[in-house]
Amino acid sequence: MKAIREPTRSRSGSIRWLLSHALAIALAVIVLPGLNPAWSQTDYSRPVDVAPSEESIGEGYVTPDVQRPLATSIGRQLFDLGLLAVALGLAAWIVLRRRSRWAALVLTVSCLAYFGFYREGCICPIGSIQNVTTALVDPSYAIPYFVIGIFMLPLVAALFFGRVFCGGVCALGAIQELVLLKPIEVPPKVDRVLGSLKWIYLAAAIVFAVLPAVSRDFIICRFDPFVGFFRFTGPFHMLLLGGAFLVLGIFVGRPYCRYLCPYGALLSVFSRYAWKSVSITPDRELDCGLCDQACPYGAIEEMRAVRTSCLACARCFRSCPVHRSCETPAADVTQEAA
Amino acid sequence: MSKDDLSRRDVMGMAARGAALAGLGGVSTLLAVKAHGSDAWYIDTSKCVNSRLGALGVDTCLRCATECVLPLSAVRAVNEFADCGRCYICPAYFDIHSAIDADGLPSKKLCPRDAIERRPIGWIDPDDPANNFYEYLIDESLCDGCGLCVMDCKEPAGLGSIKLEVRHDTCLACNRCSISIACPDEAYELRPTV
Repeated sequence: MKAIREPTRSRSGSIRWLLSHALAIALAVIVLPGLNPAWSQTDYSRPVDVAPSEESIGEGYVTPDVQRPLATSIGRQLFDLGLLAVALGLAAWIVLRRRSRWAALVLTVSCLAYFGFYREGCICPIGSIQNVTTALVDPSYAIPYFVIGIFMLPLVAALFFGRVFCGGVCALGAIQELVLLKPIEVPPKVDRVLGSLKWIYLAAAIVFAVLPAVSRDFIICRFDPFVGFFRFTGPFHMLLLGGAFLVLGIFVGRPYCRYLCPYGALLSVFSRYAWKSVSITPDRELDCGLCDQACPYGAIEEMRAVRTSCLACARCFRSCPVHRSCETPAADVTQEAA
Repeated sequence: MSKDDLSRRDVMGMAARGAALAGLGGVSTLLAVKAHGSDAWYIDTSKCVNSRLGALGVDTCLRCATECVLPLSAVRAVNEFADCGRCYICPAYFDIHSAIDADGLPSKKLCPRDAIERRPIGWIDPDDPANNFYEYLIDESLCDGCGLCVMDCKEPAGLGSIKLEVRHDTCLACNRCSISIACPDEAYELRPTV
């Protein structure tokens, strides 16, 4: 029959067909008799054609309640959004006015605990890039107001105060901030080349997000290195990637933030036009260059913070002799230096 | 650096900031026009392979149980009690192809995790257990949403009262739900809830 229907198939072709379908044929021979009710051990026929009513069941039977999916709470989303705004404001105040590394660390650990471990990392501004992109191009795809807020707030904050989101609020940044124990300096050229990777990643994420629904993929989320840690579970490749980034992060300051984070790419553009950003000034700091060596992110050039790459971690202030000695009034130290 | 120079830089900065803010505002408006309050992952039962195919469906899809990032999937089998036939021999509770034991019931249960409880309800006939109705309760702490019972409850064996549902209180609401990616039939969708 086969040969008549498909005359082009050669003899070797049909052997190949047999071989390639051998498993299916074997399965059919073994499984089909089992499926045939006449051959199986149980003669099964459906006892009822309709569901019995409560009356026919009798004895005062009441149909139990079926558990329905719980509604998601809008209040919690509003709370999260408010918390994000407060944390951004607090981060700005800490690094721009207070200039305290200690306070910045407390904030970033708190945000890691809440947004990372408690809220389990979804949805974050980094991943929201994809939702926003898809919502812009696909008329049938819409996002909640909450996600618009999550995406927009850190960008607006960057426009006013620089990348305070990176240093103070982002859970992915915080986990890397904590493992950075033995920072080594990445040569500026290498740093620049690697830094362009995040633009490629951003472009790829956008391309995958605008694909038609069938082949669409959210690659930022697929390769999110740290969400597996926040949830204490995840696909193996995610945990492996996260582990690799954390080990690398012991020596290289925040490798994901600096070289891969697509949201960091957006923030670096917006922070370029920041109203105020982290600044190392001769008035409030000492022009000694200690901060230059203290910055593990290569964001200080000529004793001044580069606003596009400064991650607002406030390490430079801790290294500054003026801020280090709390007893000494700032003015005295600057005078001594002069 | 002269004072003029500085002010020009300031003006440029303000202009750039204003333009960026306007841009962000524009994008927000575009998105807000069709935005909704909240959303969650749902299984569209009409597209689910296990809900569509009956016991004769050869490809049993187990992805709801295996693909979730949680150790125990957020998907659960849910018995829609009002539609349940309360059968004596429930094809979703018993493995109806297994040997019959002394009680005249199939010797094996279908659920690999023994998550379904069977108990007689209503008026009980003391002489003929086959004449009784039985309630099939699914223990949500044991069920992993594999969907084997969904397949066998379906026509022609059963009435199709068992469905799969995402439990939103356990679902982590991953932006990129791994079950939705693995689902053979696009039965997963992010649906507005408010």
